[in-house]
Amino acid sequence: MTGTDPLLRVAGLHAAYRSVKVLHGLDLEVRRGEVVVLLGANGAGKTTTLRALCGMVDTQGSVLLDGVELVGRSTEWIVRQGIAHVPQGRGIFGVLTVEENMRAGAWGRRDAKGVDADIERWYGVFPRLAERRRQRAGGMSGGEQQMLAVARALMARPKLLLLDEPSLGLAQIVTRGLFRQLEEINRDEGMSMLIVEQNAELALSFAHRGYVIESGHIVLGGQAADIRADEGMRRAYLGY
Amino acid sequence: MSPHIGNVSYLLSLLTTGLTSGALYAFVALAIVLVYKTTTHINLAQGEMAALGAFIVLALTRYGVNVWLALVISMALSFGLGAGIERGLIRPLERRGIFPVVLATLALFLVINAVMAIIWGTQPVPAPAPLPNGLDAKIDILAGPPPFFLTYRALGTYVILLAVLAGLWLLLERTKLGLGYRAVAANREAAQVLGIPVGRMQMLGWGIAAALGTVAAVLVAETVNTLDFNVMGSILIFGLAAATLGGFDSVPGAAVGGLVLGMIVTFVPGLFTVIEGDLGLIIALAVVLVVLLVRPQGFFGTKPLERV
Repeated sequence: MTGTDPLLRVAGLHAAYRSVKVLHGLDLEVRRGEVVVLLGANGAGKTTTLRALCGMVDTQGSVLLDGVELVGRSTEWIVRQGIAHVPQGRGIFGVLTVEENMRAGAWGRRDAKGVDADIERWYGVFPRLAERRRQRAGGMSGGEQQMLAVARALMARPKLLLLDEPSLGLAQIVTRGLFRQLEEINRDEGMSMLIVEQNAELALSFAHRGYVIESGHIVLGGQAADIRADEGMRRAYLGY
Repeated sequence: MSPHIGNVSYLLSLLTTGLTSGALYAFVALAIVLVYKTTTHINLAQGEMAALGAFIVLALTRYGVNVWLALVISMALSFGLGAGIERGLIRPLERRGIFPVVLATLALFLVINAVMAIIWGTQPVPAPAPLPNGLDAKIDILAGPPPFFLTYRALGTYVILLAVLAGLWLLLERTKLGLGYRAVAANREAAQVLGIPVGRMQMLGWGIAAALGTVAAVLVAETVNTLDFNVMGSILIFGLAAATLGGFDSVPGAAVGGLVLGMIVTFVPGLFTVIEGDLGLIIALAVVLVVLLVRPQGFFGTKPLERV
């Protein structure tokens, strides 16, 4: 179940690519154990929000993870604090094997035994990856690559998992299967997640809460069920 | 046609000559590839940095340091210089685009070349010789004519190339550092979001490349018996051609590309006497062009070249 204390608290976040400002004072929160979905049109700033949390764009404002300020820190440092990011397009290392990809995900860890144990643990959750552990990751299907991207991110034992358009380029049935697995990981491991997703209906059916972002601002936030139920909101912001 | 074309001893001699030149091209190609993989830059000063490393070996031996120890010290210094140039010069420029980086490596080429000429002069000097180099330092195999023999210098060059390849394989495929390097090479941004220190992996590539270049320059100088400030000038062209042939982002490709190029450059003028030595280079480059027309990514490359 989700707690009430915030794991991630973002306040007044500004972000820019060189001189182009994309986020203009964004506020949002992810509580411990919660799945939060970030919705919005193309170009609204969803991907930039995730990149800003990881220190991959120039940012101002405040991002507190477990009370630790992340703004102004390097990506390397932020990852060590417990944020894992599954980037848009998955970012698989195609010429590396599946298992090498998993080990790369555990880069910041020093507990070799724990890493080995976690690899087996995620192979248990994603048996397709276990079958292909010695194969080059680039040869796998889009759905398998997305599973690998999630498993690889989890190898860092993060406190918060960021997912950027996990359904991108996947068939409907594959996407549904993936979201079911994400739901299980949230339920069984208590993994907190912040998800950017085009497929609003699907994402809202799985998330606890949602935010809608427009032109770099949060324009509304609430319980996922309430957003789904409110027809006006759906028409205005979600286009379905 | 060469009159010796059916002579086994002559053909074997061409083979060993080709392998020796090929090994030297392979060292330079390896250095270029190790930089390219994580940065997608081509260091035009790779050859001059290598020549500087060879001069440092020479300077150390003049102080009485054992030539092998001098080589190891110079490799370590070259590693530091390479890594330092990446960190201090290339990385700050990289934000501004590809051309400032290309110009910076060109400037480095000119500066290092001039510095060597100022310090050590423009006249060729006897090369430091880590490998046995006398007239008798050979194993006779066929009496000939022409006689076929293997020099210890050629054998030493092959052994060093194999040792370097084995070392690189161990480092890249069997260590955590190597995993990080390959991850950055495969997808820089994805590696960054996993917390892999991208910049340090790029420094590593530059450092190893510079150290390898020093080995290459010392062996090149020993092959021609003298060292001068332009010793690596033409070798860099061959190294670039070899790297292109092998696939710019492939370590085994660089080695194979170097050896194949060495064979072409040796056998074409060796078999067809109408073709003078200098034409050999043109023919070698023509072969590279043909290979690239058929296979734009080279023998082992994973993707076609985009930013050169």
